[in-house]
Amino acid sequence: MNEERKSPVTLIIGLILLAYALILRSQNESLTPTGLVAVAEYLKTGKTIGTQISVGLWSGIIISLVGIWNLAVPAMTSKFDKLVRAPMAGIGMIMILAYVTRYYMEPIFKIWGKQAQPMLGFDMASVFGLNYILLGILLGIVWVNTIGIPGWMQAGVKTARLAMKVGVITLGAMYSITELKYLGGLSIVMVATFVMGTSLFVLWLGKLAQAERPLIGVLSAGLGVCGVSAAVAAAPVVKARGVDMAYSIGMLLLVGVVGLFVFPPVAKMVGMNELQFGAWAGTGILNSAQVAAAALIFDPNTIETLKVAEIFNITRILFLPFIVIVLAVWFAKGEEEAEKGKVSIGKVLIDKFPLFVLGFLIMFAFSSTGIFTPKGMELHGKHFYKFKIDEKKEVRTRDLKKISAFLETGAVTDPKVKAALGKLVADRQITSAEQTDLVLKAQDFTKEKDLKAAFKEADKLVQAKPATMEMMREYMMWFFAFGLIGLGMQITWQTLRQAGGKAAMIGVVAGITKATLSFFVCWLLIKGSI
Amino acid sequence: MAEEKAVASEQKQMEERSLSVFASEKKEDITSLVIAFALAVLVLIALK
Repeated sequence: MNEERKSPVTLIIGLILLAYALILRSQNESLTPTGLVAVAEYLKTGKTIGTQISVGLWSGIIISLVGIWNLAVPAMTSKFDKLVRAPMAGIGMIMILAYVTRYYMEPIFKIWGKQAQPMLGFDMASVFGLNYILLGILLGIVWVNTIGIPGWMQAGVKTARLAMKVGVITLGAMYSITELKYLGGLSIVMVATFVMGTSLFVLWLGKLAQAERPLIGVLSAGLGVCGVSAAVAAAPVVKARGVDMAYSIGMLLLVGVVGLFVFPPVAKMVGMNELQFGAWAGTGILNSAQVAAAALIFDPNTIETLKVAEIFNITRILFLPFIVIVLAVWFAKGEEEAEKGKVSIGKVLIDKFPLFVLGFLIMFAFSSTGIFTPKGMELHGKHFYKFKIDEKKEVRTRDLKKISAFLETGAVTDPKVKAALGKLVADRQITSAEQTDLVLKAQDFTKEKDLKAAFKEADKLVQAKPATMEMMREYMMWFFAFGLIGLGMQITWQTLRQAGGKAAMIGVVAGITKATLSFFVCWLLIKGSI
Repeated sequence: MAEEKAVASEQKQMEERSLSVFASEKKEDITSLVIAFALAVLVLIALK
């Protein structure tokens, strides 16, 4: 009989999760925020309390029941025991750590980042990507190298890759092919060239450097598409180990941070305009937060550069599904060839294409049909909108008067913007996707902060958050947080020491090449301004 | 040569599997599909 499986540890962990959820629920019912709710208010995680309670309750109940079962009848050798009962204690422990990273560590770093912003000139937490992804993997590394993985946790840690795969499939629901129709031809062509070009270049460079295929695959997605999140999505596709992830994420953030500080002065030196810089930053810098920060450093007064950079950035992110397919085929082909010699792509697609990537693509296809979008909502750019006339979405009378007076001054020279503002005043709210873009564009015709805020508010009022997407996103983040902590727990100092150099070399060479090529393309080929 | 390759590949696969509770890649993939789609259906039923 295995003594480990008779231990009460599963039950204890289940009860901890249950107790946390129940305490949070009881404190959430009181009129004044106390205890954990007061902490959540301070950390600005109040909106997540509902999810924290439901995840804690359900997981606490399940883990506790399995804990009681394990105590009464020790888990032995059946498949169910191996796959469900034995890993439960480790799963529960990683969930507790996921709570700590998502709801405590990440918000604390966010607050510190904002507090240090006036001194540093940038948001440290956002620029260095100090979110649950990086913090989760770091926490895993610190845990395994200090506390270690006790016997009762080992099976749980081995469910990390399963969690990553579930996360990737769910990620498919966050993309929609319809988003592409809102993006300009220029951004699609440029980004397609650079995404595919960089990814293929990294695959070639990795082979040249004789790096391990999982590391090359993760770096290829990260350097080609959108930094850390692409690397996370590609990890299970190329069977990346924790150490591959750690080095890739470190490298991606480092390349991005260097780009953030180098791009704006170089662009100023050669006299790039907003359109050129927006395109360059959106193509050449890796992480979304770093792209936004670089655009704001270059042009802190208007949002034009930021808008262009964001369009390019969104386009780049939309290429992730295609890169996932390319990497799945590349990796499966490599594995097959290592065993059997030369094989055709067709054979690889049939025999070895990972099923969960197929799941990701099916989810992506479902999402493109609008199945996850509630009736009456439409996806425009980064946000969902609901344009049905509704009193609750009306702009305040005070703001409408200001907009009306602003129109009379004749400061708005663009007839389309003028018409959009006129319609806003008449309807008291925005009624179409095109109008929302034009109202936001009106910010360029004024320096008055109140007016700019009124335009932004009008846009925000018609934005909608589909509950289905929000919940799917929340689950996805849970699976990724869980998976990354588990992957971090597979990294020892020794493996870290062994595997660093090649990731750094590939990252630096590919990062510099991409930044330089996209610089010349944007500088020499993009003419005109906004 | 081919035998060496096969041994190396088998060893790699064993290392790979030692990082997972599943006996094969396919079983892990199918489980992930079931969990992800079951969750999506539950979310749709509950909220749409």
